[in-house]
Amino acid sequence: MAHVPARGGRMRVHAGERRLDADFCVVGAGAGGAVAAAELAEGGARVVVLEQGPWHDPNTFTARPPQMLGRLYRDGGQTLTLGSPPILLPLGRGLGGTTLVNSGTCFRTPPHVLERWARDFGLELDGQSMDACFERVERALSVATVTPQLAGANAGVARRGAERLGWSHGYLRRNARGCVGSGVCVYGCPTSAKQHTGITYIPRARAAGALIETGADVREVVVQGRRARGVVARDDRGRRLRVRAPAVILACGTIHTPVLMDASGIPDPSGQRGRNLSLHPATAALALMDEVVEMARGVPQSFFVDEFAQHGIMLETIAGPPAYVAASLPLDGAAHAAAMARYRELAQIGLMVSDASCGRVQSLRGRPLIRYDLDEVDVAKFRTGLGRIEQLFDAAGARDLKLLGFHPLGTARAHASAAGGVTDGDLAVHGVRGLYIADGSVVPSALGVNPQLTIMALATRLALSLLSGESAAVVSQPSQERSPCPS
Amino acid sequence: MSANLDGFIAAAPRPQRAAMKLLLALACRPRGAALLARLPLAQQLARSLIALGLYDEPSVARALGWDADAVVARGRELRRAEGRP
Repeated sequence: MAHVPARGGRMRVHAGERRLDADFCVVGAGAGGAVAAAELAEGGARVVVLEQGPWHDPNTFTARPPQMLGRLYRDGGQTLTLGSPPILLPLGRGLGGTTLVNSGTCFRTPPHVLERWARDFGLELDGQSMDACFERVERALSVATVTPQLAGANAGVARRGAERLGWSHGYLRRNARGCVGSGVCVYGCPTSAKQHTGITYIPRARAAGALIETGADVREVVVQGRRARGVVARDDRGRRLRVRAPAVILACGTIHTPVLMDASGIPDPSGQRGRNLSLHPATAALALMDEVVEMARGVPQSFFVDEFAQHGIMLETIAGPPAYVAASLPLDGAAHAAAMARYRELAQIGLMVSDASCGRVQSLRGRPLIRYDLDEVDVAKFRTGLGRIEQLFDAAGARDLKLLGFHPLGTARAHASAAGGVTDGDLAVHGVRGLYIADGSVVPSALGVNPQLTIMALATRLALSLLSGESAAVVSQPSQERSPCPS
Repeated sequence: MSANLDGFIAAAPRPQRAAMKLLLALACRPRGAALLARLPLAQQLARSLIALGLYDEPSVARALGWDADAVVARGRELRRAEGRP
């Protein structure tokens, strides 16, 4: 591959401050930021990407949960909500963001959700325009359906139960290429089969000339005269870094984007910033089978049951190594040891609720304070969902059932009206020219399915719209040929 | 406490870090364990932490059919053979 000099990185040092000039400054390199950066850079724009976390070399992945939680996750995977009940939010940190540590499940935004967004939020994201963006992302990420062989025996248990009960089910679509079922998607894929944005879109952005800065802690989005002018950050050596850009795309994630906007003193005329937090709360159930399952052999999240999706309940298989199971088993002493001695025969199914509950992210000395209480409606969904899992395991021949206990969205929700949301339908922040958001915070409601594809498609739509629409004036070079993705 | 569990705890936000260290310290002492027995949620958290460390030990995990080193070695080999990142 020919070396392409970084066009987004005309760097100067002025009074001890590093300065960069770009057409677009993208803050965050996860599902939204990496996609937007690659599309913009390939379209000819000068792009600077600032990512707070590091690049994680796959050679350092150890497939050992506590070690990888500490390295790959924000706060060691222990970001916690305050409320009833407290909920752990596993968020990735580094190039790839949470796509580095998720299970790779890819669902398109369900049509009924798009219809609701049009009805309740005035968002004109019709199926046809979104489909073009979904196809583009799916091609980039090699999205394909998991094969039964690769899915493993844990999925086989769930499939058997679903078939006997006549419930709607299927194998999941995932962004993976050359997967051999290592069983540790969420602890860093040791084969680099999972096509997270750190090994897909970020290399594309870099090849197209974007400058990627890791270890860059953005402290402020500079807004003057209701117009974004760039950002101020600290680089990985603690030096002040200023990026001057007429357009800034925030993609720090649902939890941190509103905190950065608060820290920057950006007006919030709607009063919606930080509010409307949905999480897709989840739990899981383990069952002891009369057969060897070896749940960590195969793709951990590979099979779904969507029979109850219209009631906000989605079942998906999940799995992990012994340390992961041992930490989540709600048993004591001898009972715990006895269950773990039969780890090979344990099967597990997860339950994800499309929540109506609403939380809030606030800033406390620059750190997010996350409030979230599960309301009675969602508690009822959990009761129903756990009952369905029990039925499923019973039908599959389980001998014993042990119950134990995520996708933050909506804190800068899109809404056609400036009074109703933080961004408009094109993801431009209401009232501030040149400031955009491309992460889960703009997703205005729970999806009921894993959200990474929705976030990536919205980021694609934003980038292509910026290249071809009104904002094309800030792009310094003509766009290259690209497939259509009408907005 | 294993080095891996140490790293996991060190990565946590300050309040959780302090709480986990306290829970582990209590769980290791008879009087502390007796105190935890009266606090079911705290006791469960302490046991989860201890279990996370114990079952992460290679010898314990291998006895249950999970060999992390073999998974990593296979991954490295595949990446090298196929020129993956």
